Amino acid sequence: MEKAKKTKSIYYKFLGKTYIKTDSVVGAAFILPAVVLGAIFVIAPMVVSLSYAFTDANLLKLNEVGWAGLRQFKKAFTDRFMWNAFKNTMIFVVKVVPLQLLAALGLALILNTKIRGNTFFRWAFFCPVMLSLAVTSFLWMNLLNPEEGLINALLKVFHIPPQPFLESPKQAMNVIVVISAWQGAGYQMLIFLSGLKNIPPELYEAAGVDGAGSGTKFFRITLPSILPTFSFVLVTMLIGAFRLMTQPMIMTQGGPTDSTMTMSYYIYQQGIKYRDVGYSSAIALLYTLFMSTVALTLRKVTDQKD
Amino acid sequence: MQTQVLPNFVKVKRKISPAHIVLKTTAILGLALLCVIFLFPVLWMIVSSLKTQDQIYAQLSSWRTFLPATWNVGKWFVAYKNLFDSFDYFGRSILNSVIYCSITILGVLLLNSFAGYALARLEFPGSRVIGTIVLLLIIVPVETSIVPLYVILKNLGLLTKELRVVGYLIPNFVSAFYIFMFRQFFIGMPKELEEAARIDGSGRLSTYFRIIMPLSKAIFATVAIFTFMGAWNEYVFAQLMFSKPEQQPLQVFLQLVNSFNPKDLSMVMAALTFSTIPIAIVYIFCQRYIIEGVSFSGLK
Repeated sequence: MEKAKKTKSIYYKFLGKTYIKTDSVVGAAFILPAVVLGAIFVIAPMVVSLSYAFTDANLLKLNEVGWAGLRQFKKAFTDRFMWNAFKNTMIFVVKVVPLQLLAALGLALILNTKIRGNTFFRWAFFCPVMLSLAVTSFLWMNLLNPEEGLINALLKVFHIPPQPFLESPKQAMNVIVVISAWQGAGYQMLIFLSGLKNIPPELYEAAGVDGAGSGTKFFRITLPSILPTFSFVLVTMLIGAFRLMTQPMIMTQGGPTDSTMTMSYYIYQQGIKYRDVGYSSAIALLYTLFMSTVALTLRKVTDQKD
Repeated sequence: MQTQVLPNFVKVKRKISPAHIVLKTTAILGLALLCVIFLFPVLWMIVSSLKTQDQIYAQLSSWRTFLPATWNVGKWFVAYKNLFDSFDYFGRSILNSVIYCSITILGVLLLNSFAGYALARLEFPGSRVIGTIVLLLIIVPVETSIVPLYVILKNLGLLTKELRVVGYLIPNFVSAFYIFMFRQFFIGMPKELEEAARIDGSGRLSTYFRIIMPLSKAIFATVAIFTFMGAWNEYVFAQLMFSKPEQQPLQVFLQLVNSFNPKDLSMVMAALTFSTIPIAIVYIFCQRYIIEGVSFSGLK
């Protein structure tokens, strides 16, 4: 009698679906910590950001938040410093993504052949990835010091006049582009290499038997095979580039004359330095809409090609 | 046998072609040049940390700038020793980094593996919804500005001097991406293992700890390694949370070393090199897991 009762009560119904009791208890217990912390530290910040965008919230007076309607958004569209930060970020994205993508893909394609010293080269290109963004920034800041940095000393050897680098509004962003690509390319190279390794060698053998040259093999086998990897790398790299912040924060503080001020950094500064949480949230919301649109469109376009 | 004959034949045919030799030589030369571009800043950083500041500046325009000033190894680590002597909290900042990393790794592994397992194997009201939210959080790039997080920490009272550490660590425990990674791994595991254990009378919980966890060392190691690298390298959030040197992790402490007046370039390079060593060790000894993690993210 007892046993029959127990087996019967293993299941229960909720909203028309049948669940196993113990599974629900264990499942709830397993997921509860993640759900609680996720709600507080992942979801709540989004909700806070979304709702504060329509207020005049100030970091020091969070108890007295007043409704601002669409005022913050109106302010954003006429804020020339924000548009400058947006322009700078787009310039960074447009320059760094192709540079880093081509460097990573090119290196992976070369290293995928049976070249001598393959392992050494792989480690060499991967080396800068081991530096953190902070270390990279502090290192290059010193290398690029106009008076006593190594780079200008090297340029002198080749009879090139010393450059101002990070102290010039014209050069600073380009310098950050090159440094970022230098630091990051090795990582995407590794992703491409693992993608290239997954191409079955039989494909190349069969093509070789059919008399295909290396050019045909590259465009007909290699490229189509790594297209999914390519689109994945492209989208993640793009989102990463949209969020540029650490390098200018350490090396230039957004200067000289705001030439390296980026969107993420501007949003951070408005909220933390100027304590204007309402305005910071409003720009963050606009920027999220922009990034999501670009990322999702790109994903759709690249997925259709597959 | 046949598959072996074919590549050999192709290779022999290629070796004869002179165009191929030229191409290969150019590729190697190009690679060597690229190698120099990728390596020289790192090499200079390490070598300069082994010199005095005067030696660095004296050798700046010579090729000797890429070689140690002396081959007397005993004299190499003066700048490293100076770091500990000149900065009261340099040793402390290393300890801070180690503590912050350890706690973060522990929290991340526990919370996300539990959640991943629940989403992979257990059905309960709301499990589908949570699974969808996790996926959405990965796909949609939200501008995860630190500002709202800072507001929440402030409201929770986690910005006092004592609780700042808690406020710094806890938000990093949950990650939609790691939950997803664990979930995918557990889904890929054969269900029969668990079913066999359960027929033997083992409950869900003990099955998880006795069967699942020991078989999932690879995914735990991969997540631990990526968490370590993220936590060790964290800069922006850390510099916002810790203005007092005794609480700062190493990455933030670098700012103090770099901006110290009078500046000692060899000490700066020593601090930069020192803070990179743990990451380099992890990359060298845990390659397998890193490649696994990288290919996982690439396949997604």
